[in-house]
Amino acid sequence: MTTATPAGPGARARPVVTGLGVLSAAGRGLDALTEAAVHGKTGFGSVTRFDVSACRTTRAALLPADVPLAHTVPLARAVLDALAQACRQAGLTAADGADTPVLLALHSDLRTRATARAFGAGVSAAWGTRGVTRVYTGACVAAATAVADAAALVAAGRHERVLVAAGHLVEPGVFAVFDAGRALARDGEPRPFSAGRTGTLLGDAAAAVVVEAAPAAERRGAPALARLAGWGRAGDAHHVCRPEPEGDGLARATEAALARAGVAPAEVGYVNANGTGSALADLAEARALHRVFGRHTAQLPVSSSKSVHGHALEASALLELAVVIGALRAGRLPVNAGWLGPDPDLGLDLVLDGPRTARPRYALSLNSAFGGANTALLVAPA
Amino acid sequence: MTTDTTPLRVLAEAHWPDPGHPGPPPPLPGFAASGFNPMVADAAERCLRAHHGEAPAPGRTALLLASASGDLATARAIDQGAGPGRRMAPLLFFQSNPNAVLGHIAARWGLTGPVVAISPAGAVPGQVPADALGLAALLLADGDADQVLVIAAEPADPAAGASDSPEHPDSTGEFAVAVLVTD
Repeated sequence: MTTATPAGPGARARPVVTGLGVLSAAGRGLDALTEAAVHGKTGFGSVTRFDVSACRTTRAALLPADVPLAHTVPLARAVLDALAQACRQAGLTAADGADTPVLLALHSDLRTRATARAFGAGVSAAWGTRGVTRVYTGACVAAATAVADAAALVAAGRHERVLVAAGHLVEPGVFAVFDAGRALARDGEPRPFSAGRTGTLLGDAAAAVVVEAAPAAERRGAPALARLAGWGRAGDAHHVCRPEPEGDGLARATEAALARAGVAPAEVGYVNANGTGSALADLAEARALHRVFGRHTAQLPVSSSKSVHGHALEASALLELAVVIGALRAGRLPVNAGWLGPDPDLGLDLVLDGPRTARPRYALSLNSAFGGANTALLVAPA
Repeated sequence: MTTDTTPLRVLAEAHWPDPGHPGPPPPLPGFAASGFNPMVADAAERCLRAHHGEAPAPGRTALLLASASGDLATARAIDQGAGPGRRMAPLLFFQSNPNAVLGHIAARWGLTGPVVAISPAGAVPGQVPADALGLAALLLADGDADQVLVIAAEPADPAAGASDSPEHPDSTGEFAVAVLVTD
């Protein structure tokens, strides 16, 4: 990656989001996703894309039929669609792209490099970038890590603008291995933080954001959609795939995001939790929230939008950042769908009915992954 | 990406294969079907031991795995396991993404920094891609880590077709290199 220093070496700049594009089970665009999230309209249905008859769980949140995927590399097409939405909203043209890094989050499999190549060719042709700068494959924090790195590059004055994109389409191999690993909800509904939760459901998603230095966006007359106030990344140092039971790594990632922004815990007014619907992981996350927010936890609205759009794995963090930005702009909080009743061990103020009106000064998007990886993105209204 | 404005200091380095450590890497409990993860863990283990002696490592150490091809044997086993009439081995779930082996290393050595995996466009046997070092420098400069253990690894698979660039051809032999860096 070449290093542009438009603001001068070492100059600090606030990173903002000036463009956002998304495809999800709710359809195309942020408005459809926000509408589904704040009303708790779930996108789950029977998987018809491939044969799931041998699996215990047969449901997922797939893109609606009117979202075209016909392409030799369907995932690349979907992510290019999201990126085009984001770039158009940000008012970018191909002339702006030459020195703009492109960070892409994808699942690591036999098709990763082919998808990255197809996406890179498309983004170069349409938006003038030099292909894909870096591909993140770090499971369910891949996209959040990319956003944090983009924000760090912009904040340090190394780039005026960074494009971040991610995609995941439900496919036979990952679906079957998650089913075999008993990670999918046996009753066909993800129920984050609920009594009786039995696992997650997978979801399709493609998402993209334009992360830009606030002064550069102002110079271009590009309105900011939201501000990336802070970010943090930390590891559990605990297990190959199980979370640290007290949520230690997630708490440290969250504390890092708050410290970077100079924001007190009591200033946070909403958390879009990782909330996969896993018995162990949801409990660890609730403990992390109690550790970071203390008594404020009782007044802190929490939900997991995975309950609406499913778990999009490497794309999940960018999809969920989109939900947070949509909620902040709408002044309504996403609903934690699928809830059956309280889990007395959690003690969270879950958003159970929607739409709930709120104007948080800051909102958090949290993600955790295999390997004990944790990320926190702190978002503020523009 | 160049390595940021701050030059990295290399604290320790280990390679697999290594003439001083002949034979296959030690098996990794809980991992199956692929030699990729034992190779990554072995290079990481010897690198960390060279600098710290015994676990745990002090401070916040990030883990960054860079692999153009990724764990091909596991990826193939997952694809095949989803085929008609096949049954998926449940153990494959636990190694279904690159973070898994990093979690093993982090747990053993108490590494509490960021856990990151990337897929660079190509690989040069025995070398850490420049972009991985650039990302390590960014993690250090941004303040979430005091040290970064960068591991570059490729499986043996000349037919993988992973490389995007003619100057960085696919590796013809498996390798892993682990480098512990700080700023």
